[in-house]
Amino acid sequence: MTSLPNPYLPDMATIVETVQETPNIKTFRVRLDSEARRKAFTFQPGQVGQLSVFGTGESTFVINSPPTRMDYLQFSVMRAGEVTAALHRLNAGDRIGVRAPLGNWFPYESMKGKDIVFIGGGIGMAPLRTLLLFMLDNRKDYGRIRLLYGARSPEDMAFKAELPEWLGRDDLETVLTIDREAPGWEHRVGLIPNVLREMAPPAGNAVAVTCGPPIMIKFTLQALKDLGFADGQIVTTLEKRMKCGVGLCGRCNIGEKYVCVDGPVFTYEQLKELPNEL
Amino acid sequence: MQELDALKQRIVEALPGLDCVIGWEPGPSPLTAAPLFMRTPADVDRLVWGPFNAPNTAVYLPAFKGRKVGVVVKGCDSRSVVELIQEKLVRREELVVFAMPCRGVADASKVAGRVGDLGQVSAAARDGATLQVTTPEGMAAMPWDEACADKCLNCQYPNALVSDHFLGDPLAPAQGRDAAADEMGRFEAMAPAERMAWWAQAMDRCIRCYACRNACPMCVCRDHCIAQTRDPHWVSQEDGVREKLMFQAIHALHLAGRCTECGECQRACPVDIPILALRRKLNRVVKDVFDYQAGVDPQAVPPLFTFQVEEAKINERGW
Amino acid sequence: MDQAKFLPDASLAAWLAELSAARLVLAPRREGGAVVFKPYDPAVPLELTRDATVPPKGAVFPACEELMRYRRVKDPEKPGQPLLEVEESLPEGGVVVFGSRPCGARGFTVYDRVFDAGGLNDPYYAARRKATAFVTLACREAGSACFCHWVGSGPADPDGSDVLLTQVPGGYVVRAVTEKGAALVGSGLFSPADRREGEEAAAHAKARESLDDPRDLAPARQALLDAFDDMEFWSQLSAKCLSCGACTYLCPTCYCFNITDEAQGNEGARLRTWDNCMSFQFTLEASGHNPRPTKAHRLKNRVGHKFSYYPGLHGGAIACCGCGRCIRSCPVGVDIRQLVLAAVERAREKSHD
Repeated sequence: MTSLPNPYLPDMATIVETVQETPNIKTFRVRLDSEARRKAFTFQPGQVGQLSVFGTGESTFVINSPPTRMDYLQFSVMRAGEVTAALHRLNAGDRIGVRAPLGNWFPYESMKGKDIVFIGGGIGMAPLRTLLLFMLDNRKDYGRIRLLYGARSPEDMAFKAELPEWLGRDDLETVLTIDREAPGWEHRVGLIPNVLREMAPPAGNAVAVTCGPPIMIKFTLQALKDLGFADGQIVTTLEKRMKCGVGLCGRCNIGEKYVCVDGPVFTYEQLKELPNEL
Repeated sequence: MQELDALKQRIVEALPGLDCVIGWEPGPSPLTAAPLFMRTPADVDRLVWGPFNAPNTAVYLPAFKGRKVGVVVKGCDSRSVVELIQEKLVRREELVVFAMPCRGVADASKVAGRVGDLGQVSAAARDGATLQVTTPEGMAAMPWDEACADKCLNCQYPNALVSDHFLGDPLAPAQGRDAAADEMGRFEAMAPAERMAWWAQAMDRCIRCYACRNACPMCVCRDHCIAQTRDPHWVSQEDGVREKLMFQAIHALHLAGRCTECGECQRACPVDIPILALRRKLNRVVKDVFDYQAGVDPQAVPPLFTFQVEEAKINERGW
Repeated sequence: MDQAKFLPDASLAAWLAELSAARLVLAPRREGGAVVFKPYDPAVPLELTRDATVPPKGAVFPACEELMRYRRVKDPEKPGQPLLEVEESLPEGGVVVFGSRPCGARGFTVYDRVFDAGGLNDPYYAARRKATAFVTLACREAGSACFCHWVGSGPADPDGSDVLLTQVPGGYVVRAVTEKGAALVGSGLFSPADRREGEEAAAHAKARESLDDPRDLAPARQALLDAFDDMEFWSQLSAKCLSCGACTYLCPTCYCFNITDEAQGNEGARLRTWDNCMSFQFTLEASGHNPRPTKAHRLKNRVGHKFSYYPGLHGGAIACCGCGRCIRSCPVGVDIRQLVLAAVERAREKSHD
């Protein structure tokens, strides 16, 4: 018998910092307690981790800091259920369990030399952040990078501390949008798919990376198609209820594919091959 | 069978105005019938009526609320329909009820006790007061009274209590042994510790499949059962007797004064735990305190759905 | 493996006593109208005349097992922020499952491809699997819900077993199937089977003959995918289903599980428990979205997993051992054979359209 590590056993980790991003999104910066594990830890942009609040349970979140910045691992958590509510009660210095990295990652190698269009809605900005920062840290490898980030209202916008920097960079074209007019808002107003159409990024040598609520994805895919993006030029990440995270427990499968190991990242071309069960 | 043909005819005539009509067809093995959802006259051809129609067709009705649906019922099933109407879980005007007088249904578990492996049974038929079962060893005959469900022995409602189409001559109530009373007597004769030990031993083999819950026509929480929620966290996922018995206690309490004693919980139990006894016990308490029996009068208000300032048998102020 | 041996009926109890001396022996007994595996007790009669209602899957994959324990302990440096101690709870001790039927033992070959292969090692499963031996009893006769021969097995299939017993007049012909099994049949209680091997072969042939003509389930893989979007088809097939878990919990090949934490004060455990893909909560997301919101969606996944997705991932192997428990114990007569054949028939009709 092989002596592979126990895939269910989390690493112990300490929260080093938290950021209350929005009323219901909180960011956790986390360091593994074991120095040896910390040194050995590697991951790829787009991979996820299971965070444990012992006594409550585990839930899956994307590691939204890039592998080029390893001071801590960052997870942004939207409060929705039992585990996320328990996480929201934690602060710097509290200890949690981390099982990571899990799943596949963004095909950033094959995206080299191409223009990149990020389209993120709400908490869907989290997985895009890791790839965006990774690309900015390897800026010369990629062509034009555009970011369209939308939220319901200004207060629902996460990563506020970074937005001025993103807006100010010469090598990144950032567009922010909210659903409806709000006092003091100086950026775009309108639904993401509509703003995307107005931005009209050329499809030619581009890859679109999108994540957000299902309804946004649906109309964004339509907009991208209309803009000339082929199915293989669109990358997205999926979310499902998960327990084991290693392809066994049986709830995140779509036909033969397990979102926890075969995903969460899929091109639209791959998604179309899957049975229709999102 | 003339009555069955007439029943089929009525169903065929009613089909165009209905989403479907729920009845029974032969099941995957002898001694069983399976619920049948009739939508076409060809489906109606498959309808059977007889000693193996154990499943309670009323269990499916709440899911059809808002649509007009037909249902074929035995007398005991009709009590569930009545209770569902009383609780406004179905609307009488959305139901078309078909019925025939019921002469009882077989209890597979009792038959198994007699002939052994039901998987080896190749044929079964009722002939008056006998059930004939064919096994590799040959034909075995057992008295119907020893093969039928306990509830049938002294069935007081062999004819549907509510129906739009009743075919055949109504039957008189059965005069047999009150098996439920016998069972209650056995449990009540036990000292509490002995009773607890008995239940602990029986519940140990429970696999927590919740067939008892899902087969219950009065189980209304459906997809939001306390057995799975963590808020409230009344039962954990541990598989000890404590958790299993706790679920049964909660289920039985939810059914107090609502359970029509159709016995589907126990029939559905794959490991044959006599869990109907728990519901019967609470029904006896309700009968005692409120003089009420569930599912016999569509106009009655179930006692735990209301209250009286002065309940005749609850001496609240004298404490 | 070793030569076939013979164990007289009169020595069965002595053998069970011998096996029990070293490890836990689980054997089928009757409880109420059910047959269940329980620790062997010489005072309680064995029930070997029919297949157990509940398969022996709990021996290797318990209904509930502890994965790890945790404890919060005070950190003297920071009293408000306790340290966390977590300890894995790996299983110990050997088990012999005595008297299961070939289908019940073969179920674990379905698990093996998933739990202990391809760079993934589930240490809980692997430890129990290694420490468990199956002494299996060949079937004498098919039951009406049996279809092991449709899924590539049979009434004397040794696959997944360590010892195969066949009832012959006066006793059992005993064959060690694995090294693990050979170690269990080494005592002086056994004699060479000799001429009884003929009786053994005859018993196997008779059991085989009692089965109906097998149906070819290979086309189901594609047929089920073809039917994926036909929700009308699945709604009709699932109409009578109660969406309970009798089929999954009794299935020797169903392995879906849940992981939950149970806390008691400052400590607690993380548990793995059997879960049920027919339950609404199984795929319910915290947002309220449910990708399998109706029993039609869930039954489709259950059948699809066994007869299409799993075969697609594991070289055509079907994740069903054909034991028929789901059919026998379904309160409303849902028959998985009919579901699969309906999908195959649907595909055949479509191809003629």
